[in-house]
Amino acid sequence: MNNANINITKEDFLKFREYFYRKTGILFDESKRYFVDKRLAERIQKTGCKNFREYFIKLRFDKSGIEFERLVNAMTVNETYFFREEYQFQAMVNEILPEITKKKREGELIRIWSIPSSSGEEPYSIAIYLLEYWSDINNWDVEIVASDIDTNMLEKAKEGKFSQRSIQNIPPHLVKKYFTHNGNGQYQICKDLRDSVEFKRVNIVDPLQTKAFRNFDLIFCRNMLIYFDDVSRKIAAETLYDALSPGGFVLLGHAESMSRVTSIFKIRRFRKCIAYQK
Amino acid sequence: MGLVKRDQKKQSVDRVGERRKRIRDFVGLVKGLSDPDPTVRRWCARDLAVFSEASKHLVEQLKKEKDRSVKEVIVTTLIRIGNKEAVQGLIECLRSDDAHLRNASIEALKHLPHKVSPVMEQLLKDKDPDIRIFAINILESLKDERVEDWLIYVIENDPHINVCGTALDLLTEVGTEKALPSIAKVKERFNNPYINYVADIAVRRIRGAEENE
Repeated sequence: MNNANINITKEDFLKFREYFYRKTGILFDESKRYFVDKRLAERIQKTGCKNFREYFIKLRFDKSGIEFERLVNAMTVNETYFFREEYQFQAMVNEILPEITKKKREGELIRIWSIPSSSGEEPYSIAIYLLEYWSDINNWDVEIVASDIDTNMLEKAKEGKFSQRSIQNIPPHLVKKYFTHNGNGQYQICKDLRDSVEFKRVNIVDPLQTKAFRNFDLIFCRNMLIYFDDVSRKIAAETLYDALSPGGFVLLGHAESMSRVTSIFKIRRFRKCIAYQK
Repeated sequence: MGLVKRDQKKQSVDRVGERRKRIRDFVGLVKGLSDPDPTVRRWCARDLAVFSEASKHLVEQLKKEKDRSVKEVIVTTLIRIGNKEAVQGLIECLRSDDAHLRNASIEALKHLPHKVSPVMEQLLKDKDPDIRIFAINILESLKDERVEDWLIYVIENDPHINVCGTALDLLTEVGTEKALPSIAKVKERFNNPYINYVADIAVRRIRGAEENE
């Protein structure tokens, strides 16, 4: 059967939208109807279901959760690149760090954790943003720790080589300042920045592994919780809570929300983003 | 000042880890559940996840725990242990006056479908309508093929309007044509605008799905 032959009615869309929102916190408005219908039709076809109804029952009652995970992957475009969701970095330097430093004594460290760090774009973006856009950087020591469960990704991140596509949002003068063009379309981030990020493998739902991750003032945990099942999401959220210093913040991806996972964080609204505070 | 280099780090993850290694046995962890420091209680609750015999102690602490973050970790640990005692303890918490505890218990029971299914009929027949509503809230996440039958049972038999309304609401998601006659009957039985409203949505959603066939 071709995708085009699969009809998703308005009632189907509403039913799916409510269910997906309840499970993930991601809400699709009417303007996303085409996007949702297209991906639903793809999943219906790939699972061999005849129609939306058959697919929805399979999804709703699938005990393994595998199809739900595939659907989440299809509904969320997960591509990492430098300065992704830049408004959060802006909030970091303009609002969050000034609030954090107010409570710190002179000489105290500021600690930032990036998880999952994937191939390194996020922790290096944090480093560049601090150096370029935080006026107070020369008055404080900042430690950046970056973690991922995938050791191949960590090795890649440590190497710090990126494609043109990955760095396309960085202003050209900063590319010139922090990267070396290696040819073959690859750019390597400078040694100084590579040495400024500590990469550590961790599985966030394993309490033995996460015990050592403590005293962070700010955690970037973007686009990770949506891929977890409900229980793992709770465990991860509680781990983030314990990894923070009192008053510390967690930033999630734009499609994610802590309020559907746990109520232990205080919700803080900044000018351009929402953060979750311990 | 500025970015600290990897080899100069003062709080390297490894060094923090070394400081925190200590033996934590069952007795010590249970004792720690009543420590005055909530951080200690939270850590003890988390580490007790590997001891299935901890359920009773965790439920006892959950009932008197005041700190929300500790409560949440206790609930997560009970989900991870997930034995009969944990489920029974969480069901007891559904009757608590503490709204946060009740909601946390509902959420926890949703994560334990295999353990909750055997007691679902008993919960749906509870004399307290609030417990029956909580039971339907739990059904929301249950991946059990009897979910629709249980909801049909509720709308055919339950005398309480809010219980039936909650069941109809969930039928908008899981209902099939099998539920349509019972939905028509519940509308007649209550003859009430609220019930008519949710029943009509349920019928529309079920028929919307049928159009595809």
